Amino acid sequence: MSARGGLLRWVAVPLLVVPVTWLLFTGLGRDPRDIPSPLVGKPLPAFAATTLEGEEFSSQALAGRPALINVWASWCDPCIDEHPLLLAAARAYAGELSVIGIVHHDSADGARGFLARYGDGGWPDLLDPSDRIAIDLGVIFPPETYFVDASGIVRYRHLGPLTEEVLAQQLAALGLDR
Amino acid sequence: MRSLALTVAAAALLALAAVAALQLVVPRAPPSAAEQARAIAAELRCPDCQALSVAESRTAAAAAIRAEIAEQLAAGRSANEIRQHFVARYGDWILLTPTDPLAWWLPPVALFAGAALFGWWWIRGRRSSVAAPARPVSDADRRRVRDAAEALDD
Repeated sequence: MSARGGLLRWVAVPLLVVPVTWLLFTGLGRDPRDIPSPLVGKPLPAFAATTLEGEEFSSQALAGRPALINVWASWCDPCIDEHPLLLAAARAYAGELSVIGIVHHDSADGARGFLARYGDGGWPDLLDPSDRIAIDLGVIFPPETYFVDASGIVRYRHLGPLTEEVLAQQLAALGLDR
Repeated sequence: MRSLALTVAAAALLALAAVAALQLVVPRAPPSAAEQARAIAAELRCPDCQALSVAESRTAAAAAIRAEIAEQLAAGRSANEIRQHFVARYGDWILLTPTDPLAWWLPPVALFAGAALFGWWWIRGRRSSVAAPARPVSDADRRRVRDAAEALDD
């Protein structure tokens, strides 16, 4: 084999094959659900809306204590799975943690039916008929949960149903780890 | 016949160049608000569907984003400001066109490198075939062929 043939085989071929293989492996290894939220590290966008009970609610009421904002809908099956975890957290940290629900693409009746069936934690559930809050939070698909610290900075956004581990870990990061 | 074909081809090229020049020179009407809104929506990913833009999707989320685009245009915001408004909330994920410059320059670089490699390989192949002319047939070769043919006849 000539010296030039050697150059082709040992330099040019790896030069083409290695980057393509690397691109494939890094691409395939990525979790398509792992979409970073630009809100993390920034103040929670201000919002005001009507609750399922017909009361006005403003995000200013969240100041001074950690908050968990859960985006859900009655048509969302994984929301059923995570609901007991939310109820337990609200109970365990009553007075220390604000829990807020955002009803996403759902009717007030649908949302009330869900709470009647799976348990009402008594926290405000806000109606968002024109997606104002959803767009400001950058909601992709329910369920989604935003963890906000006492100074109003978004610390974490969880896509998909909450797990016990994620909930415990993120509440601990907000200083709630009993 | 051939000169006629050349004339026709030259005339066609000239006409094409004239049309292209006209496109550049004649000012186009500015896009309407609806056209602008559609163009922006076509660049944004629909949050609750797969591989569809906000302009194409019929989901509630896409409709809400379209309404917000129209509202922002009416408030006098530029297309770029509106794009940034959504990027600040959803991240680069919302854009259907890649923002990483690597995605833009890597394909032409790879294409050029491939073409250069192929050209080099092709030229080298031609050169070696030209550089090595066939050896003239010697008497010894003729003898070997004759012997082999005779051996077949036996």
